[in-house]
Amino acid sequence: MRDQIARYAARLLADRSARPGAIAFAAHDDVMIADGEPGLARLAADVLAQLSCLALCAARPALPFADFLVRRSGPGESRIVPRDTETRTFLHDIPILRREELGPGAAGRVAQLLGNRKGVVVEGIGIVANGAVTVEQAYINYSSVFHATFVKYLFDLLGEGFLLPGEEEAFREFRAGWLAPLSAGGLAFRPGPLRDAAEVLDEVALVGRYTVERGLVDSFFGNISYRLGDVVYISQTAASLDELAGRIDPVPSDNSSTTGITASSELLAHRRIYEASGARAVLHGHPKFAVVMSMLCDEKDCRIRDCWRDCDRVRFLGDAPVVAGEIGAGGLAKRVPPVIGGPGKAIVYGHGVFTTGRTGFGEAFAAMVDVENRCREEYFGRLDRAGR
Amino acid sequence: MDTSHPRGWRGRLLHVDLAAGTTRSENIPRELLAAYLGGRGLGVRLLRGAFALDPFDPGMPLIFAVGPLCGTPAPTAARLAVVSRSPLTGTVSDCSAGGRFAFRLKAAGFDALRVVGKSPRPVALAVTPAGGEILGADALWGRSVRETVSALSGRGSVAAIGPAGENGVLFACVMMGEGNAVGRGGLGAVMGAKNLKAVTVDGDLPTGVADGGRFDRARRDVMRLFKASPVIFGELGIAEFGTPALVDLMRQRRMAPTENFRKTVFEGSGSYSGPAIRKGYGARKDGCFGCPIQCKKSGRDGRHLPEYETVSHFGALNGIADLHAIVRSNDLCNELGMDTISAAATLAAWGECRGRFPSPEEVERLLGDIGHRRGDGDLLALGSRRVAESFGKPGLSMSVKSLELPAYDPRGAYGMALAYCTSNRGGCHLRAYPISHEILRKPVATDRFSLSGKARIIKIAEDTNAAVDSLVACKFSFFGATLEEYAELVSATTGETYSPQSLKEIGERIFMTERFYNCANGFDAKDDRLPERFFSEPGSSGEGIEVPPIDRARFDEELQKYYRIRGLSPRGTFADPDYLSRQP
Repeated sequence: MRDQIARYAARLLADRSARPGAIAFAAHDDVMIADGEPGLARLAADVLAQLSCLALCAARPALPFADFLVRRSGPGESRIVPRDTETRTFLHDIPILRREELGPGAAGRVAQLLGNRKGVVVEGIGIVANGAVTVEQAYINYSSVFHATFVKYLFDLLGEGFLLPGEEEAFREFRAGWLAPLSAGGLAFRPGPLRDAAEVLDEVALVGRYTVERGLVDSFFGNISYRLGDVVYISQTAASLDELAGRIDPVPSDNSSTTGITASSELLAHRRIYEASGARAVLHGHPKFAVVMSMLCDEKDCRIRDCWRDCDRVRFLGDAPVVAGEIGAGGLAKRVPPVIGGPGKAIVYGHGVFTTGRTGFGEAFAAMVDVENRCREEYFGRLDRAGR
Repeated sequence: MDTSHPRGWRGRLLHVDLAAGTTRSENIPRELLAAYLGGRGLGVRLLRGAFALDPFDPGMPLIFAVGPLCGTPAPTAARLAVVSRSPLTGTVSDCSAGGRFAFRLKAAGFDALRVVGKSPRPVALAVTPAGGEILGADALWGRSVRETVSALSGRGSVAAIGPAGENGVLFACVMMGEGNAVGRGGLGAVMGAKNLKAVTVDGDLPTGVADGGRFDRARRDVMRLFKASPVIFGELGIAEFGTPALVDLMRQRRMAPTENFRKTVFEGSGSYSGPAIRKGYGARKDGCFGCPIQCKKSGRDGRHLPEYETVSHFGALNGIADLHAIVRSNDLCNELGMDTISAAATLAAWGECRGRFPSPEEVERLLGDIGHRRGDGDLLALGSRRVAESFGKPGLSMSVKSLELPAYDPRGAYGMALAYCTSNRGGCHLRAYPISHEILRKPVATDRFSLSGKARIIKIAEDTNAAVDSLVACKFSFFGATLEEYAELVSATTGETYSPQSLKEIGERIFMTERFYNCANGFDAKDDRLPERFFSEPGSSGEGIEVPPIDRARFDEELQKYYRIRGLSPRGTFADPDYLSRQP
């Protein structure tokens, strides 16, 4: 357990989602183990002791957005509801606990909320997330809440501007300091076409790692595949994109084997993209600015209420088409393939980006970086034009 | 959404005394329903006071119980649990099944049906909103399941036993009219011992929902997660290929039990894989009433096609690669009313004991002999433990607590190994279902060759699944959804407040009650044991995957850890003799 805690604490630092020195995990095997910043570790252990879960993560986010969302929310609100697909599908909503609600029984209140949801924002303390069966799951849930609050805060800012004292300064610091330039520079890709299974497995694992290292995912989720003859080599479901060795499923196109039952939930989308585009490589990530911008829609008097599922319009962010569609069999696999062939890129409403490479991953990776940079640029342009 | 009728629970059970020939409706206190939910939990609670009886004692109750979600459009919830004490294992035993029977039992106005006593003659029980009626069934005795269901079909949905249940085959099952089986643990033999050939249920009473809007939102959340799950609605998932989708995966992971678990790879498994069954029989979607997944498959002629466990055990476990023979074995078990896992595993143990696994033709003949208790079938009807003991080779029964292991070799998934041992009903994969995370990567992947953390994971999963079996929902739902969404569904339905945490706490109460019953009946750590083979013989290593024997010392350490987490003594027993009296 301790090795797992050390591993995922290091991940929170590497992906810069938590503040150094403000991270703690607790894990409950036959004894309780808590490690990290003492105050947070004590809270984590106290909360976990009241839950039927294996692990808990309590950490102070590297950005103050989650706290801002709590303070921006109305006094009667007990949760925030980010609109991104990951939240809608897996988190549903994020309970909040305000500073004034904390007291001697804080652990009990947090446990009560976590008994119902995967993560909670505790004002002034941070994000507390549970892991039902592994320490990794606690990390994932922390990371998902971090991603969701990041996306929601940026989205809300465009509409509402800064509302709180200190908010603008913090945002400026985020923009100038935390937000690193994004590029594909320094990364080596095989030009392709890739020749054999060994080369494919190696390249998929390598590019998966690049995708995480360059921050094009939330936690470490996304998916990646390469088509070699009649076989698609695709990352497994719930696989960490930066640790894909041994976690890539070869899936024959004729469905003569079902070993690919563990393949990514987006296998269907990847297959249809190959059929529609003739590409050999497909990359899917969740870059944050693309997710935010995909949800900005200028449509007036639209009758569609479930934009994620029902919108059949094709909008554009620059030269990248934006379509709706839910995960897996939920419609994404129908709407992305028809639009991705020409531009080699497509954004899914509230979800993320698909890109393709005609021979190798270099083109797909560059396209994803380009989409995210354009969305970032457009986002700040809009914010600046609005005087915020 | 109907909000004008009783919310979730009907609050009544039908008590049937077959010896006296009487039936009566009883109220179930709402507090008890809230504390045990329904299904497995309610059945286990209703067993209190009788759990020490012999399974074939006339006083031993046989309980059919539905859950609060049954009768609503909650996905995969038209299910019930049958609960009693197993004649095969001696443990408390429950088994979940889908089909219209559960839905109609609820629609007849009952949350549960409790049958005690032994009828002097074969009977059937007809349940309607007016109550229960005991019907003579001399003409049905000896008939196959299909014939029995057909004869009673005018009375609604049917649950029936076949000749195996009548003849006391220790792994006889109760078959639902649509082909679903209450498969494991021999509860069909308990029904047969009561001279109860069949139960029919009919009714049209609706189940109300307290908060329709909340229910609809939760239902949409569940369906979204189903669609996001590659195991459920993926192109290669169980909705497409049924559970035989696992055949290729288990072969690839080198953990398909072969030749009575002597090996873990069967080169002929491709002949009965999901794609092979689809090609050979034109498999099309079929399944439980009201289930959106439809993972069961039927052929062009409408026959029910076998599930993963069945194809693998009548296939690899007996060294048979003939799909048609496997399908015939499945048909025979369904007609005779026998658990396919125990039947196939008992034949495999017998085959190894005598030095030759049965041919496909022999299997067919032997299944008939088992169902009718004739020739070699008389011994085989007692299950693999008793068969292996009769040969003086008890180690060749691949069972835990006498329940034959299903088609996941424990050397290929250490959490599964531990869960086989801690399961309250014996060697069962569904109590904790670690295959979900060790193999199918849901909700997250765990290292299948490591025991680290598995004791806690198994404990949590056992509690979770006890709640799931009490709602009653299908385990396969949880390849996508979680207790978060189902807590919403049950809260919206009943108007009571449930959370994932509170459901797990209920699940813990149910699981520990079962364990208490078992301990009171003499079970302890000596029964939480895997067959020696798994600690001394390797599986079939190859293709870069090593399948060594399980490290016994490390395994025992994790088992002790499990006992500590459960608050049990090092012998796996209760330090507190009053545990039960403190439960609602």
